[in-house]
Amino acid sequence: MTHDVIKHLLDDYVTGELTEEARGPVEDHIAGCEICSAEVESLKRILARAADLPKSMDPPAEAWSNIRSAIERDEKAVRMHSARSYDFWRRPYLLAAAAVLVAVLSSAGTALYLSGRSSGAQGSHATASNSGADATPATLAAFTIEENNYLRTAAILQDLLEQQEGSLAPETVAQLKASLRTIDEAILEARNALARDPANKMLVEMLSATYRQKVDLLRRTAEMTRGS
Amino acid sequence: MSAVVSDTIEPFPTTNGEEKAVTLDSIRRAQSGDVDAFELLYREHSGRVYALCLRLKAGDSSDATELMQDVFIKAWRRLATFRGDSAFSSWLHRLTVNTMLENARSDQRRVARVLPMEDTSRLAGAARATGVDLRMDMEDAIASLPKGARLAFVLHDVEGYQHQEIAEQLSVSVGTVKAQLHRARRLLRERLES
Repeated sequence: MTHDVIKHLLDDYVTGELTEEARGPVEDHIAGCEICSAEVESLKRILARAADLPKSMDPPAEAWSNIRSAIERDEKAVRMHSARSYDFWRRPYLLAAAAVLVAVLSSAGTALYLSGRSSGAQGSHATASNSGADATPATLAAFTIEENNYLRTAAILQDLLEQQEGSLAPETVAQLKASLRTIDEAILEARNALARDPANKMLVEMLSATYRQKVDLLRRTAEMTRGS
Repeated sequence: MSAVVSDTIEPFPTTNGEEKAVTLDSIRRAQSGDVDAFELLYREHSGRVYALCLRLKAGDSSDATELMQDVFIKAWRRLATFRGDSAFSSWLHRLTVNTMLENARSDQRRVARVLPMEDTSRLAGAARATGVDLRMDMEDAIASLPKGARLAFVLHDVEGYQHQEIAEQLSVSVGTVKAQLHRARRLLRERLES
């Protein structure tokens, strides 16, 4: 290997990322090349200094109180939303009906969108973007916050349901679980589609609506088990 | 060229095999809504997250504090999805980088903000305020790097992520990460040793 080739391998040589067979020729060259030898020593010093940097620094004292305030605002909002939907959804037959409806709508909506997208212009980016207005950075930022809230709320409610499912009729539990599986598949499909086409506002809205349906269903079930 | 290069550098810890029992207990309690338990997790991990935020934010302590707060608020909201497949510290670090990138994407003003080369005293000042005896010139030099080079250097050479992990997080190719790393090291050598 020539000097010009080897000088591009020096970073990987120093960090131990060269393969065994490449290391020998590089070492032979360095032994006889002052320029490369000096560069290797310099790189080692930089890496040693990087490794020596402190891994921890104290954050400002007020940071935790700011975080705690934000968390408490979140929790308050979740409780208020939960209280609003409590009474109506205490009735088991409505829950079962809702579970079926939500699952069907989530699955069908996503499937419809995805099939329409692929049959348009073979999934081209232009077609995907034309199927919905572009999501703005503000929309995506809001959605990210919304998604975080849904994920957290859904996980908590699901844990709660697992603990309390004994208070529901077995057929209701079975229906609920089947519906949740369908909704999760719809979420996964929409999430994958959004990963491929992150600027598509329609996908953002679809995914957001599916999360909302899942959380609503879980919350209603949790409230029903609590009230039963 | 890539045929002679392996990616075997030790990665940032990715398993929870050595997760402390007290951390696991705090995680479980926080997952069930215990804010005091979450504060314990904050006390245990905020120093490392803040150091990472400071370096990602080129030493701006105000931006770094804001980012760290966003990270922990997001961590609280997402805690229910943490299943222990990775170490909690790894999960937090990944969340930190992702949050920084999300914030940058959603705020063009932040994307456009570039620290002037001559203004390299902010991280040193922030570090001094914490009482840490830093190699100030090294921190200043890192803060002065162009954003892409700085991200690659901090994540690879300071935090120990692999090229592939960085490429995935930044949505760039492994080749781009390596090129940014090479650039960062060359600039650091010029600024620290010439």
